[in-house]
Amino acid sequence: MDPRIVTAVGAVVGIPLVLAGYILLSERLLEALPARLRSRMRPYVWVLPAVGFSTVFMVLPTLNTIVLSFMDKRSENFVGLNNYVYFFTSPATLGALKNSLLWLVFFTGFVVIGGLVIAVLVDRVRYESFAKAVVFLPIPISAVAASIIWRFMYDFQPPGEVQTGTLNAVIGTFGFDPVAWLVESTTNNPALIFVGIWTATGFAMVIISASLKAVSSELLEAARLDGANELQVLRLVITPLLLPTITVVATTVVITALKVFDIVYVLTAGAFDTDVIASQMFSQLAGSGHFGRAAAVGVVLLLAVIPLLWINVRRFRQQEEMR
Amino acid sequence: MPQFSFKPMTRAVALGVSAVLVVAACSGGTTSSAEPSQAAPTSTSPGASAPAASSSTGEIGGELVVWTAWGGGELTAFQNVLKPFEDETGIDVRLTTVRDITQLTINVEAGTSLPDVAFPPPPDKLVEYAQSGVIKPLEGFLDMAAYTKDTYPALLEIGVVDAQHYQLFVKTQVKGLFWYNAKVFTGPAPKTWDELLSISPPAGAKLFCVGLESGADSGWPATDMIENIVMRQAGAEVYAKWIDGTQKWSSPEIKAAFETYGQMVSEANVFGGPNTVLTTNFGRAGKPLFADPPGCLFLEQATFITSFFVEDYPDLKSVDDIDFFAHPDIDPAHAGNVEGFADSFVMYNDTPQAKALMSYLATADAQSLFVAGGGTLAANSTVQNFPDPVFKKAADIAAGAKNLLVDAADFFPADMRTGFYKGILDFTKDQSKLDSILSNLDQVQAASYGE
Repeated sequence: MDPRIVTAVGAVVGIPLVLAGYILLSERLLEALPARLRSRMRPYVWVLPAVGFSTVFMVLPTLNTIVLSFMDKRSENFVGLNNYVYFFTSPATLGALKNSLLWLVFFTGFVVIGGLVIAVLVDRVRYESFAKAVVFLPIPISAVAASIIWRFMYDFQPPGEVQTGTLNAVIGTFGFDPVAWLVESTTNNPALIFVGIWTATGFAMVIISASLKAVSSELLEAARLDGANELQVLRLVITPLLLPTITVVATTVVITALKVFDIVYVLTAGAFDTDVIASQMFSQLAGSGHFGRAAAVGVVLLLAVIPLLWINVRRFRQQEEMR
Repeated sequence: MPQFSFKPMTRAVALGVSAVLVVAACSGGTTSSAEPSQAAPTSTSPGASAPAASSSTGEIGGELVVWTAWGGGELTAFQNVLKPFEDETGIDVRLTTVRDITQLTINVEAGTSLPDVAFPPPPDKLVEYAQSGVIKPLEGFLDMAAYTKDTYPALLEIGVVDAQHYQLFVKTQVKGLFWYNAKVFTGPAPKTWDELLSISPPAGAKLFCVGLESGADSGWPATDMIENIVMRQAGAEVYAKWIDGTQKWSSPEIKAAFETYGQMVSEANVFGGPNTVLTTNFGRAGKPLFADPPGCLFLEQATFITSFFVEDYPDLKSVDDIDFFAHPDIDPAHAGNVEGFADSFVMYNDTPQAKALMSYLATADAQSLFVAGGGTLAANSTVQNFPDPVFKKAADIAAGAKNLLVDAADFFPADMRTGFYKGILDFTKDQSKLDSILSNLDQVQAASYGE
């Protein structure tokens, strides 16, 4: 039999067996302990496999990446901070950093505000589920597929030829010359960020909308009776109540903005100054084979995300305490 | 050893993403270089062959481990080549596709098993391996008189160490051909660059079509265009220094090559202007050649491009519709330099089985099976059974070549190559930035060699 099939069967059957065996065996061992100690030990015994797995697959690789970021191209010699110096001085990575900032501000801004506005607006119409479905539609499309769709949208043919790209066909009917959306430096970054917004707004909308449903209608009615107009209701009642949700959505979207890679890779591959830090990491690794620099990019990305994680965790704790 | 812990995953990502994008690029048929983003190598069974049952000709038996970088149609063609050999000799050929040619150097350095016959080691290792006996010379078992008589002369210059040949060439292709629509361009082929540029295209058309888009490898078609200019404008020596990293990018020779290329993609000479060049996929670049009315006269590309023409216009016939002329000379002093690539085999274990296979691959019979597979020339100039008649002309160019020069970009360090691609894209977009682009490439050159 094909050895790969043996391995696959072994993995599918064997791993659950081992885990079940672990629980049974550890229960057996716990039985031997005095009752008080048993109940205190049990959580630790049960959590051990999870801790083990996350150590092997997450903690150790992270530590390894940090170590690699201080090593040279082939991870053979220690080079101190060289890779970080490179990251913050080379024009290529600085350009990528600048573009990532653009993503951070515009992608996050449009996705969160767009999601909020759509959620609030569709809450007041009868065709709410239809409208939400339309906005949500891009979510199941993988980023690579979405980017390929947008390649066709942004397609450029020389002036005078039939415009196969939707956007250029549309502006052509108004008599404008076609624009090379992904090449011109004034349009290429906005074009990429727009694809991101298109794919992510539905996510923000769904989460915010769900939390909007939880705002009690009595509260809104009371505000209206007290003379608040709709904008004031939105600004002074709804938004503060939604704030915890918006924070969670915003941090998630910020992390998405920082790690965006596929859209850039598929649409421009970082050409014409559209590189972002995640695509820099990829090209350092797969293009140049420079493990040290790639790892340094990864570590910078990790450090950039940590404050957001901290905010998220803190908010989560507060909510738990409120319960 | 370095920590390769996350490399295979990234490669798989690269493979997945690029497979969507550059399916077309792979079908082109470039072979001699390792694809940077291809699948991880497959390991093979131990390289030691079983002892020969008999050393006489005819039935030999035993087995033979062969590595190739080919896949797809090229692999099928090679399997067809091997079949008669296996039937006749009874040798069991264990064929493995190894995409990453550095696997070979890794095995040599680790002292683990090597294939009996495989693609050559990287050029910078060839001399070392020849002198240390890792690879075995053809002299000693091959009928060298017959081999040198029939093989294209330019190929015999490659892979020679201490007057002994190590690479047995089986296939070759020429690059830098100017393709045209034979119904539109009917004049004589220009002999010089100035003649080429002075041809006046029909009203509404431009002289050239160029398409540089190719996903993450965008820009590569222009590397061939610039390389063809360098070798004809500045000569083979500058070209060799350029590969070695000792020829500065800001030097007058390379700068002049960029400027000459700039003539081809200028607003005045290229179909649709630079934005069209940058957004058109290389495979679709030739479409305006055959449009009615035509958008341009010429497209510079290697032989594989005909399959893309036929995809767009299935009724096109070779020679009657699709034809090409050789890259015109630029400086007559450097006439005869031709860019091409060639596939060769090298023997790593001199077993009777390996010698038998190498001897067989040198024959016209074996190489005609490669040619019958389509899309390539044989290394043997007498093999002319091309399924596509347009290859006959390519064979004439190969026969007339004084130097068959490799694709320089394939031999650049990875950073240099990607920098070259990016520099080409930036220059094509805005030619006035040439000086800053070249000085940036100088920095990449200084940093990337010998790293």
